[in-house]
Amino acid sequence: MKMYKYIISTIVLLSCLQAVSFSQDSTKPVLNLSVGYFNDNGRVQYLKANAKTKMDGKFKQVADIKLNFYITSEDPAHLLGKGFTNENGESVIFIPPTARDEWNSAATHSFIVSSEASKEFDAASGTADVTKAKIQIDTAEGRNITATVLAFKDSSWQPMKDVELKIAIKRMDGDLNVNETQTYTTDSTGAVTAEFKHDSLPGDAKGNLVLVARIEESDLYGSITAEKTVPWGKYYKHESEYYKRTLFARRGQSPVWLEFMAYTIIIGVWVVLLYLIGQIRKLKKLGA
Amino acid sequence: MENLAKQKVIQDLKPQQFGKRGMIWVGILLFICAVGLFAYIRQLSKGLVVTSMRDYVSWGIYISNFVFFVAISLVGSLITAVLRLSDVHWSTPLTRIAEIIAVAAITFASIIIVVDMGRPERFYNLFLHGRLQSPIIWDVIVITTYFFISMLLLYFPLLPDLNILMKLKEKTSKGLDKLYSFLGSFWKNTPGQIKINERAISILSITIIPVAFSIHTVTSWLFATTYRPGWDSTNFGAYFISGAFLVGAGGVVVAMYVFRKAYKLENYIKEDHFDKMGKVLVMLALLYLYFNINEFLVPAFKMKKPEEEHLVGLFTGEFAPIFWFAIFTAMIIPIFILLFKKGRKPLPAFIAGCLVVIGSWFKRYLIVTPTLLHPFLPMQDVPDSYRHYFPSWEEWAIAMGSLAGVLLIITIFARIFPIIPIQETITEIEEHENV
Repeated sequence: MKMYKYIISTIVLLSCLQAVSFSQDSTKPVLNLSVGYFNDNGRVQYLKANAKTKMDGKFKQVADIKLNFYITSEDPAHLLGKGFTNENGESVIFIPPTARDEWNSAATHSFIVSSEASKEFDAASGTADVTKAKIQIDTAEGRNITATVLAFKDSSWQPMKDVELKIAIKRMDGDLNVNETQTYTTDSTGAVTAEFKHDSLPGDAKGNLVLVARIEESDLYGSITAEKTVPWGKYYKHESEYYKRTLFARRGQSPVWLEFMAYTIIIGVWVVLLYLIGQIRKLKKLGA
Repeated sequence: MENLAKQKVIQDLKPQQFGKRGMIWVGILLFICAVGLFAYIRQLSKGLVVTSMRDYVSWGIYISNFVFFVAISLVGSLITAVLRLSDVHWSTPLTRIAEIIAVAAITFASIIIVVDMGRPERFYNLFLHGRLQSPIIWDVIVITTYFFISMLLLYFPLLPDLNILMKLKEKTSKGLDKLYSFLGSFWKNTPGQIKINERAISILSITIIPVAFSIHTVTSWLFATTYRPGWDSTNFGAYFISGAFLVGAGGVVVAMYVFRKAYKLENYIKEDHFDKMGKVLVMLALLYLYFNINEFLVPAFKMKKPEEEHLVGLFTGEFAPIFWFAIFTAMIIPIFILLFKKGRKPLPAFIAGCLVVIGSWFKRYLIVTPTLLHPFLPMQDVPDSYRHYFPSWEEWAIAMGSLAGVLLIITIFARIFPIIPIQETITEIEEHENV
C-alpha cells in the first residue's frame, strides 16, 4: 500500500512539473510600447509609437500591432486615433483638431498608446508626459544665432534652462551643424547662442539657407523643431547642361570632335562609293 | 587557251536549273520562310508579348541572330578583300560564294533588327531623330554602307560573266536574259572596261576592310558601352571580329562543299581549297579561343560579385550545357579535326565547318542573353517567367525563317548567276598556261 502511495505521489509530482514547464513554455513575449510627441516648426503635431519585443536576447521591431492613441487618459472619450505598426514597428498619427479643447485646457499632457491582447502578445501600453514648449530663433546680431526655449507654465510662455538642443542648417539629406559644437544647453534665460561659421555654403536660388533648432526626444517636451530662413548662403545658379555638347546630350548636341570624326569617315567612304557608281556609268559609255 | 577548253569551263560554271533535290530544297526554305512570316504577322498584330522577352531579357534570339548575321557577313571582306590584296590566287573560286554569303547575311541582319522592334513603323524616326552619340546610329550607318560595298563587290566582278552568259547559245529563260541584259549589256570586254573594272574592285577591296572591321566593332560596342556583367569589356571589338572571321570562314567551307556536290564542281573547288580553308579555320579558331580565354579568365580571376553570378551561370549553372557545347563545337572539335591533313579533306572539313557555324550561333546567344538575366539589382516581385528565357514558338519561327531567308538568297543567286567567277577562272587558266 505504501509502495502504491509512493507511485501515485511520484506520478502527481511529475504531472505538476510537466504542467509548470508547459505553462512556462506558453508564456507570451513582452511587448514594449513607447510613444513620442513631435512638433515640427509649428506644423500639425503628431505622435509616433514604437512597438518592440525581446527575442533571443535582442530587441526586434514588431509589425502589424493595432494601437490606440489617447490623450490624458485611456478611455474612449480621449481617443485621438488608431493605427498599425509598420515593418519598423512604428505607427504615426496626427493629433486631430477635435483634441484642440483638451490640448488648450492644460500646459502638460499625457499621451498614452495601448494595444489589446492578442495570440502573440498580452495587452501593453506606453505613456509620454509632455509640457507644451516652443523654440524661437533670433538672428539679429550678425551671423550669431540665438535660440530660446519657452515652456507654457502658469498661463504664459516662460524661458526654460538646462534644455539640450541642436542648431544646424537644413540640407537635403540631413542637418549640418553651424559650427563644430554638436549640442547646446540653454542658460537661465532659456537661450543659447551659436556662431554661424560656414562662408560659402550653397543656398537656394536666392542664396537662402534654412536654420533649424531642434530638441530631440526630450522627456519633458518631446521632439520640437523650429526653422528660420536666412540669406547667408551662396547664391546658387543652376547651370543647365542641356545646350552643352556632350556624349550624353540630346540629338544635335554631340561633341564637335565626334561630329568631325564621324562625318569625315562617312563622307570619305560614301565619296568613294559614289565615285564607283560613277565608274559604272563610265563603263556603260565605253560599251555603248 | 583553246576555245574548246574555254567552252568547257563556261559549260561547267554556268548557272544550272534546279533538279528534283533543288526544288525540294527551295520548297523547304520557302515553307520555313512562310511560317516565319506568319509568326511575324502574329507578332505585329498582337505585339511583342507573343515573344518570351520581358523586362529583363529584352534582347533574345532576334538580337543573337542579328549578331550572328553581322558576324558571318564579314567573310566577304576576308576572302574577297584580304586574300585578294595579299595576291592569293587560290581563293578566286571562293570569292563569289563569300560575297553572296555576305550580302545575304547583311540583308537579314537589317531585317531582323526591325523584327526586334515593337513598333517597326516608327523605324524612320531613327534616321530623322537619331543621335550621333548613340552606337545604334553608328550601327545603322555602317550596316547600310557595308551592304552597298558588298553589293558593288558582288556586281563589278560579275560584269564579265554577264557578258559570257548573254552569249550562251542555249538560253535558259527570257526573264533571265532580260536580267543579264539589264545588268551587263554594256560590257564589251574592252581593255578600257577591264582596266576600270579591276581598279574598282581594288578600291572596293581596300574600302571594305575598315568598313567590315567597323561594322562588327560597332556591333560589339552596342554591348560593351553598356555597364553590365559579361559586356563590360575593352576587348569586345577584337573578340567579336575574330569570332566573325571564324564563323564566316566556317560558312564558306560549308557552302563550298554543298556547291561542289550539287553542281559537280570538283575540278574548280578542289581538295586543295578545303586544305587551305581548313588551315585558315584552325588559325581563326585558335585566335577566337585565345580571345575567349582572355574574355573569361580575367573577370573569373577577379570574381567581382556581379561577374561571379554571370560566370558561374555560364561555367556550371543554367547556361553551362550551351556554353560548353558552343566552346567545343565552335572551336575545340574543329581545331582537332582540321589540324590533321585527313581532317582537311572535303567531308571532314564540311563537318568541321557545320560545327563552327552551329556553335557560333549558340555563342552569340550566350553573349546576349545570360548578361540580361544577371542585373546588378536583384530581381524582385516579378513573375517566375521573367527570371528565365526560352524563346516562344513565334521567336523560333521568325529566327529560323530569317536563317532560311539567307539560304534562299544564296540558293536563288546560284540559280541565276555563276557561283564561281567564269571570266576570272578562264583568265587564271590562261595565265597559268602562259607561265
